[in-house]
Amino acid sequence: MTSEIKFALLNNSEKSLNDVKGLLESCHLKVDRQVDLFAVAYTDNNDIIACAGLFHNIIKCVAISPEYRGENLTSRLINEIILYAADRGVFHLFLYTKPENIRVFEKCGFYPLVVIPELATFMENTPVGIKGYCEKLSQKQHVGKRIGSIVMNANPFTLGHQYLVEFAAKQCDWLYVFVVSEDSSMFSFKDRFRLVQEGTSSIANVTVLSSSEYIVSKATFPSYFLKEKADVDHAITGIDLLVFRNYIAPSLNIMSRFVGTEPFSPITDKYNHGMKYWLSEYQTSSPTINVIEIERKKINGTPISATAVRYFLKENNLEEVKKLVPETTWAFLKENFATNSREVL
Amino acid sequence: MKIIKDAIAGTLESSDLQVKVSPQDNLEIVIHSNVMHQFGEKIADVVKETLNKLQVAEGLIIIEDKGALDCAIRARVETAVLRGAEVTELNWSLLK
Repeated sequence: MTSEIKFALLNNSEKSLNDVKGLLESCHLKVDRQVDLFAVAYTDNNDIIACAGLFHNIIKCVAISPEYRGENLTSRLINEIILYAADRGVFHLFLYTKPENIRVFEKCGFYPLVVIPELATFMENTPVGIKGYCEKLSQKQHVGKRIGSIVMNANPFTLGHQYLVEFAAKQCDWLYVFVVSEDSSMFSFKDRFRLVQEGTSSIANVTVLSSSEYIVSKATFPSYFLKEKADVDHAITGIDLLVFRNYIAPSLNIMSRFVGTEPFSPITDKYNHGMKYWLSEYQTSSPTINVIEIERKKINGTPISATAVRYFLKENNLEEVKKLVPETTWAFLKENFATNSREVL
Repeated sequence: MKIIKDAIAGTLESSDLQVKVSPQDNLEIVIHSNVMHQFGEKIADVVKETLNKLQVAEGLIIIEDKGALDCAIRARVETAVLRGAEVTELNWSLLK
């Protein structure tokens, strides 16, 4: 049977797109809108019997029609995707799947990074990916008893962020600030990273680091294979935090993670709760990490947030923006959002 | 030969292998095989010998072996290295 099966990139005809959708649905999966490339397997009758999708460096929407399972179609399909990705210059690939599929993807050269029991697994297609990253991290290790950390998007870096860093740095011998490296924010990673560096340069015991691709983003997590919204949240948070706890924290001896309270966004507030669970309470072989939640800095009774800064920027209300950001960020914003900024200066 | 970019060769099908090479300061070879117990050392020997012949002294070489014969291992390693080293004109005598 297998000899009649051919592999190809999906042509964008409506029929094939519908076929893929139908196949995914028959496997109880939804189409992930981010996927911009599908590899498919089809029979002589042009029936699509298997598919695998790609978004950036993440493999998504892998499905095999039930009557063709057990013929090793997955590894041939994944192989196609690996080659297409290589053509695009992408060699380091990730995927999320249910824990019961780990074996299938191990056969395709993928290695599990963390497993959230019964829900999801995060895998990468190299046996030395996270190991290499952690080795590089540990070269930046500082000696000290109390090593702390903060993960921030800093979109952009506000007085609130600065306050959190200053507060945490006082409690620690050394503090690592990870800036989320993914570019799905208003400000680019390059700019965000620079603003964090500039805004913390006066604090002696701080290192600013890029979060790397190992800090999972909500924007790229495929939720199509989990049915309940609560399961999705649980899995995303768990994967992200266990990667941090099991790999990143040990390579820098990080013992605590600082975070500001979240009075505005229920999602982030939930994430803070998840942080306590996955970093401090959840049982795993890695050491626990102390989560320290600090009340956010307020100005005139209102907690400072990057969301507010972005809002005021869009409204062109630079007077309000200026109140919420440090000098360093203000200098950058002034330069890049210069329209009408004169009257404020 | 110096590996200057990521490259890949081969497949994950039975009796074949996939070879991935990346630039790196030292030479690191990582082998995974479904016949690791029986042939792990032999596979490593063939890989090292092929790298030697191509004068590859540094790079990360990752092998996903699915029970390939020595000749397949050699061919896939050669192809991955040549792609990773962006070799356009081949000195065939190296590959003898």
